[in-house]
Amino acid sequence: MEIGPIWRAMWQSKGGYLLIGLQIAVTMAIMVNAFAIMQERASKMGRPSGIDEANTFALASVAFKPDLDYQSLIREDLEMLRNTPGVINAVVTNSFPLRQGGWSEGLHREPGVGKSVSSSAIYFVDEHGLETFGMNLVDGENFTPAQVAWDSDSDDFWPATVIITQALAEDLFPDHEGSYVGNTFWFNDDNPANIVGVVERLQAPWPTWTGVERSMLVPLIRESEFSRYVIRTEPGRRDELMPQIEEMLSASNKERIIRSVETAADARKLAYLGDSSMISILTFVIGLLTAITGLGIVGLASFSVARRKRQIGIRRALGATKTAIVRYFMIENFIVSSIGIVIGAILAVALNIFMVQAFALTPLAWYVIPIAMLILWTVGQVAVAGPARRASNVSPAIATRSS
Amino acid sequence: MLKMKNVSKVYRTDTVETHALREFSLTVDEGEFVSVTGPSGSGKTTFLNIAGLLEDLTSGTYELDGRDISKLNDKERSNVRNEKIGFIFQSFNLIPELNIFDNVDVPLRYRGFKADERKRRIEQSIEMVGLGSRLSHLPAQLSGGQQQRVAIARALAGEPRFLLADEPTGNLDTNMADSVLDLLGEINAAGTTIIMVTHELGLADRAKRNIFVRDGQVSDGAPELHLASMAAG
Repeated sequence: MEIGPIWRAMWQSKGGYLLIGLQIAVTMAIMVNAFAIMQERASKMGRPSGIDEANTFALASVAFKPDLDYQSLIREDLEMLRNTPGVINAVVTNSFPLRQGGWSEGLHREPGVGKSVSSSAIYFVDEHGLETFGMNLVDGENFTPAQVAWDSDSDDFWPATVIITQALAEDLFPDHEGSYVGNTFWFNDDNPANIVGVVERLQAPWPTWTGVERSMLVPLIRESEFSRYVIRTEPGRRDELMPQIEEMLSASNKERIIRSVETAADARKLAYLGDSSMISILTFVIGLLTAITGLGIVGLASFSVARRKRQIGIRRALGATKTAIVRYFMIENFIVSSIGIVIGAILAVALNIFMVQAFALTPLAWYVIPIAMLILWTVGQVAVAGPARRASNVSPAIATRSS
Repeated sequence: MLKMKNVSKVYRTDTVETHALREFSLTVDEGEFVSVTGPSGSGKTTFLNIAGLLEDLTSGTYELDGRDISKLNDKERSNVRNEKIGFIFQSFNLIPELNIFDNVDVPLRYRGFKADERKRRIEQSIEMVGLGSRLSHLPAQLSGGQQQRVAIARALAGEPRFLLADEPTGNLDTNMADSVLDLLGEINAAGTTIIMVTHELGLADRAKRNIFVRDGQVSDGAPELHLASMAAG
């Protein structure tokens, strides 16, 4: 390997190499940290919501007749929905995960004002809620029909039984060992709730909330002009059933309208729109930076070949094969890339430490820097390949021409 | 050892065809010191380029050490240049960014010698041209004569069978030129075949045989006559 003489030759005209090395270093630092941000966003977007998203959709029924019997309407709608071929189950509820609108409550381990120790998203459901959402009950049991209450005019009425998520249980009772079933906590200072079941996971409607994994099912159906139905279909039948069910409900009662038909997948897309946009922008920035760096390397190498045409001819005259000339430029690029990459790695770590402290970003995964190094080394070698090949075609006869 | 027979070299552009060598025939035996002279544009440098495998010939045959050069691919030609031929150029052609040691090292690396062997050869050849104390100097820090000596050291370090010199004293003053020619004489005396292209009549005299080239051909008649005619203008 000719690293020694190549390095010494580079040192004699270091300006251009330093600039390109610096560009590689900056690209490396930005690329690594942009990737870390993308990775964090992607990881956030990849969290399961706890429901069967692929086969779930929701729609809203809005009644416009003032004295309509809402309870009867809801019962009829649920009866129709649950008996529709292809529907696994359906429930009337206030919201569902990723919908970005919902209800939350402060929770107490003991009754009394100002003793809230946790908070939770609230989903009002009946005994069909568990199956409709497709949740995994890890402890206790489902609601019985008798536990499900109807409420028409009060926000202060709370049933005495709830099913909560594992995350909420751990937050409410951090020192508790064993089953959480049977434990009691309080809503609104003085409404006790007994835990009858624990589900593995059910996210809150707000994906950006720090307590997103803390949710509970409350066996309550609120009677009002507005009812949201969540429907779970057999696998693969969601898209087929959505328009059918919308039409069926619309036709069944002309004193309300059906609107806001949306799939859980749509809700996810909308909920993470900011994150996915950020990933797209950062991908573009990384691609652009890498391309600019690659073009910089092509430019420097092309300039270097043009400037050293005679020197290349001399080397060829002295016995360098075409491969040796290509190798020379490859090694030269490898040296300058390596310097840039090492400086870039240090900058990347420093920048990441700053970002972790300033913006609570997750620290870099160990493999990000080696991957970025490999990418930039590859970009460098690919970028220099063209100019290096041109250099290898310089005729050795140039050595005998007058300088 | 070097045998060219009816070698022609034609340079073609879209509109012009230039015959640089026409039916050029020459044989050089081992240990000779041959000068090739001729007026400007006569084909001297083309001959040197073809002899040194720097360019392809258009037609004819060229054998070097009994090997038909026209059948070699680019890599084989590079290897022959590296192993059998040493070059000395008019403008020295040292690599400006490399110090003297690294300059002499260039062909040795292409030869694939180990580091110890390279070091031994570099020091020996540099010592031979009297620049042993200048190993870490850059070419720009040496005089023209010293640079040409380094070029000679670089040409000799690989112990080539041939030394091809292209106007080796063209950029040197008389004293330096004499000293370089003395050195070439010593090298030839030690057994290396030298072919020196020059337009300087005085230099041609230092060779054992003179070849006169005109219009791309070896000219008939005694070289002395040609040299005399060149001298007369």
